Amino acid sequence: MGLSLRRLLHVVRKEFLELRQDPRLFGLVIIAPIAQLIMLGYAASTDVRTVPMVVVDQDRSSESRDLVAQFSGSPSFQVLGTLDTVEDVDDWLNGGRAWIALVIPDDYGEDVRRGRATAVQVLADGTDANSTNVALGYAGTLVSSYARELADAVAGGSGEPLIGAEVRVWFNPQLESRFFMIPGILALVLLVVTTNLSSMAIVRERELGTLEQLNVTPIARWELIAGKLLPYALLGMIDVALVLAVAIGWFEVPLRGSLALLILMCLVYLLTTLGLGLFVSTISATQQQAMMTASFFFMIPMVFLSGFVFPIENMPEVIQPVTYLIPLRYFLVILRGIFLKGVGLEVLWPDALALFAWGAAVLTLATMRSSKRLA
Amino acid sequence: MTAAGKVRAVAVKEMRQILRDRRSLLILLFVPAFFLLVYGYALSFDLRNIRLGVQDNDRSAASRELISAFLNSGYFELAADVTSTGEIDGLLDGSDVRAVLVIPARFGADVRAGRRTTVQMIVNGDNANSATTVVGYTFGLVSTVSARFELESRAGSSAGPPIAVEPRVWYNPELRSTLFLVPGLIAYIAMLTAVVSTSLSIVRETEAGTMEQVRMAPIGPLPYVLGKTLPFFAISLASALGIVAVAMLLFDLPMRGSWLALLGAVSLFLVGAVGFGLLISTVAETQQVAFQVALLTSFLPTLMLSGFIFPISSMPVVLQVVTYAVPARYFLTALRAIVLKGVGPAVFWQELAALALFAAVILTLASLRLRRQWA
Amino acid sequence: MTANGAAPAIDVRHLTRRFGAFVAVDEVSFEVRSGEVFGFLGSNGAGKSTTIRMLCGLLRPTSGTAIVGGIDVGRDPEGVKRRIGYMSQRFSLYEQLTVDQNITFFGGAYGLSHERLAARRAFVLDMAGLRGRERSLAGTLSAGWRQRLALGCAILHEPTIVFLDEPTGGVDPLSRRRFWRLIDDMAQAGVAVLVTTHYLDEAEHCHRIAIIQAGRLAALGTVSELKGIFESRRIVEVRAPRPVELMRALDAMPEVEKTSIFGTAVHAVLRSSRTDVAVVTDRLAASGITPTACVVVEPSLEDVFLDVALSAGREAGGAVAAPGGGLA
Repeated sequence: MGLSLRRLLHVVRKEFLELRQDPRLFGLVIIAPIAQLIMLGYAASTDVRTVPMVVVDQDRSSESRDLVAQFSGSPSFQVLGTLDTVEDVDDWLNGGRAWIALVIPDDYGEDVRRGRATAVQVLADGTDANSTNVALGYAGTLVSSYARELADAVAGGSGEPLIGAEVRVWFNPQLESRFFMIPGILALVLLVVTTNLSSMAIVRERELGTLEQLNVTPIARWELIAGKLLPYALLGMIDVALVLAVAIGWFEVPLRGSLALLILMCLVYLLTTLGLGLFVSTISATQQQAMMTASFFFMIPMVFLSGFVFPIENMPEVIQPVTYLIPLRYFLVILRGIFLKGVGLEVLWPDALALFAWGAAVLTLATMRSSKRLA
Repeated sequence: MTAAGKVRAVAVKEMRQILRDRRSLLILLFVPAFFLLVYGYALSFDLRNIRLGVQDNDRSAASRELISAFLNSGYFELAADVTSTGEIDGLLDGSDVRAVLVIPARFGADVRAGRRTTVQMIVNGDNANSATTVVGYTFGLVSTVSARFELESRAGSSAGPPIAVEPRVWYNPELRSTLFLVPGLIAYIAMLTAVVSTSLSIVRETEAGTMEQVRMAPIGPLPYVLGKTLPFFAISLASALGIVAVAMLLFDLPMRGSWLALLGAVSLFLVGAVGFGLLISTVAETQQVAFQVALLTSFLPTLMLSGFIFPISSMPVVLQVVTYAVPARYFLTALRAIVLKGVGPAVFWQELAALALFAAVILTLASLRLRRQWA
Repeated sequence: MTANGAAPAIDVRHLTRRFGAFVAVDEVSFEVRSGEVFGFLGSNGAGKSTTIRMLCGLLRPTSGTAIVGGIDVGRDPEGVKRRIGYMSQRFSLYEQLTVDQNITFFGGAYGLSHERLAARRAFVLDMAGLRGRERSLAGTLSAGWRQRLALGCAILHEPTIVFLDEPTGGVDPLSRRRFWRLIDDMAQAGVAVLVTTHYLDEAEHCHRIAIIQAGRLAALGTVSELKGIFESRRIVEVRAPRPVELMRALDAMPEVEKTSIFGTAVHAVLRSSRTDVAVVTDRLAASGITPTACVVVEPSLEDVFLDVALSAGREAGGAVAAPGGGLA
């Protein structure tokens, strides 16, 4: 046993020495994740803060001006200008400078004065459905509360609706979408680094010829695999520490759960991604193939089907079972649970178990596929 | 040999090499289209079947009417009938429901008497995007129901009826997020395919030592780079057209603009993307580094900084500047303009120019880099 | 069994390896004794590397047995690894590691203790002439140095059986000579050495040679035994200003079995050793060719090789296509 461990340690030492000889790779593996997380953490926001808009006021009455004032006075909107005709809207919307255009018909003022039902048009560029939805929602809310005020002012009421809605948002009261995104980016950044290292690891030696030399020595299969993965796991953990520091220290994502559990889960996740990369390494004949297989068949699906940006509940019934095959899915639930909800294993145990099982399975598969002797 | 002849020689050799790696070639040609199929189908921002828990402390006709309004809207589905407040914690922690509607005990009585009352909506905020949507739906639905009750109780009064908002959504009237996402998917998958296929190509020759042979031949760096670009461009183009075909046939992606403009935009984009991969290949010293750099600069950045998912205008200014360096950004704008808006190049000529500039700069840089290496 | 009754170090019986329909190694049988330098001669693609790989436990035999160091490699590939050393064609060293680090790693891989590794390290550095260059990156060494370092790393654990696969490819003649002296030293110390090579002059160094052609053992024996195939025949070396014309003329003669180009001369194999050189020159004169030289020569290994290769008959196959994947 002692001999086995010594051989293992020699493999570990060799990997580290090789890594050290390639300072660029080293830098990429340590520095790049932080840089990525910071940059993308800022990018990842679906929050719509201010809606740029234009107005076409065909009425030009004091009532219409009053309505426009509601918009310009609201922090949710930014009125960029008032246009003369509806045709002018084309330029603004097509060019993307304005998201919506408020069109007030010429009989608006009169209708309001007479208490008749009236309507205003909101033109929106639907290509960005998400933002449009939000913008329309804001506009609708603004107009209907303004309308109510008017109505009650006439009727002598309090200006308040009959039924109010009090909304309380748990876990993320400011609706800061970053808190949702950053754990996901963290996981993806780790994925990118570790998959690269491990998927190229064995293929590279095969391409260079040193793998054959290794196979002739008494180094056992598992010793080789463990020896290769340990340095990468260590690098991965350093990355974990760094990105966690950025997420918590820089972006101030709240950490309501246990840090120890978080780190433990990160370790399990690392084993999964490393195992995945290793598996790719065993089914690829060249580094080119390894890269393509890893990128196409593992990383891209992880981005889209893990619940990173697109909620899994939104996905069609047929696709949902497929998402169970994606380890990132479980890790995201765990991450978000620990960060935002502050829950622990009592709630997260199914996902933790699934993640662990995934990692164990893929590592086993990779090991089985690695034979020191060609059949 | 003329310059064109040299380019051809390199291109032919490269094509032969590519054709020999069957697995990679098949992946490059067919997997992207397949991905579009899967992800285009799977991904959407439209939130439906939101799992709702209801704690109805009143159980009157009025409360039932409110609940039906929610359930009949098509957005919500009843997931849990909450009997005690203590259950809510567990439901939200475990993500069994996305929101809980709490109706107070005297709801019906208050509404009939015209007294102001409030219902509570507790929303799971870990996914801020979904939460915002849920909040929006809530306000809208409550306000509608409220207005209905108000009208009933004030029937016959002279209060002015509310002002309606008529939304007119251009290009995407049903606000299907698919139409927004699919072009982004096309851009993303095309970019990754191009970069992944080329980023190892030159560095592989350097590592294998065959680069020396190339330097012996009277081929300059620029013809060499161009010669390598052509076959990869051809493959990426075939792949990209496959993606677009899937999008149009299976996702009803409209084609409101000119095919020529589409082809032009795609080609410019792909030349730049392929060139970018080649540039990486000339900068990296080992295949492993090339892989890592390729991932770092395209995998996550293209996803998040191209306007695919997150609107660029919502990002901090610093990042918006960074997005100018992401070619997918320009392509996406042009693509959406051609496909969804049906406008001509006059509107997006700047994007086309940017793509052309990007391609030219990148290919020049790659040649310069090679010249330095070969000197 | 060998002359003195000791078991052979390497005992191969009907070893066969198929890749799909292609037979790379076809029922090869031979023995190698301790202290013997055994040469495996053959053109590229003949099956030399495939055979070695099977003997090292890197490739599973399709059929047949190979007993290496008393262990059945087919059944227990891992068991032999402690006892054998292997050096591949590519001098597989870790180019990014220094000489010292390579030695340390391979020493560790073979489980050498601290003290033993120190002693062996000194030995290898001296043998390879790398004293003072311990901290050079292996990738920066020229071919001769790398070759000796690779050999050193392969024998750190003092194996009794060593496999060398084309160990002198791309190395200058001086370094090659030095390398072969090392091999001789090892053999003298009792190590069984199996070397594959396609350099015929090096094969003369070996105690015994096996010629492999298209996966089959075409000839086996000592150098002189092999040369003995020409016993009943005679080889004549002829020189003339126009070698191609000369060859054609010689081929036309009934006394000549075959011809081949040797450097700037032509070797003609006469069917009978009783044919006189004068007959050849007379016939050439009749065709209008005056050779500048025409003498009987002793058969060289090259003559033997060509003779064996031609009579083996089968076309040498293309490169062996091994499926990719796994650790191997």
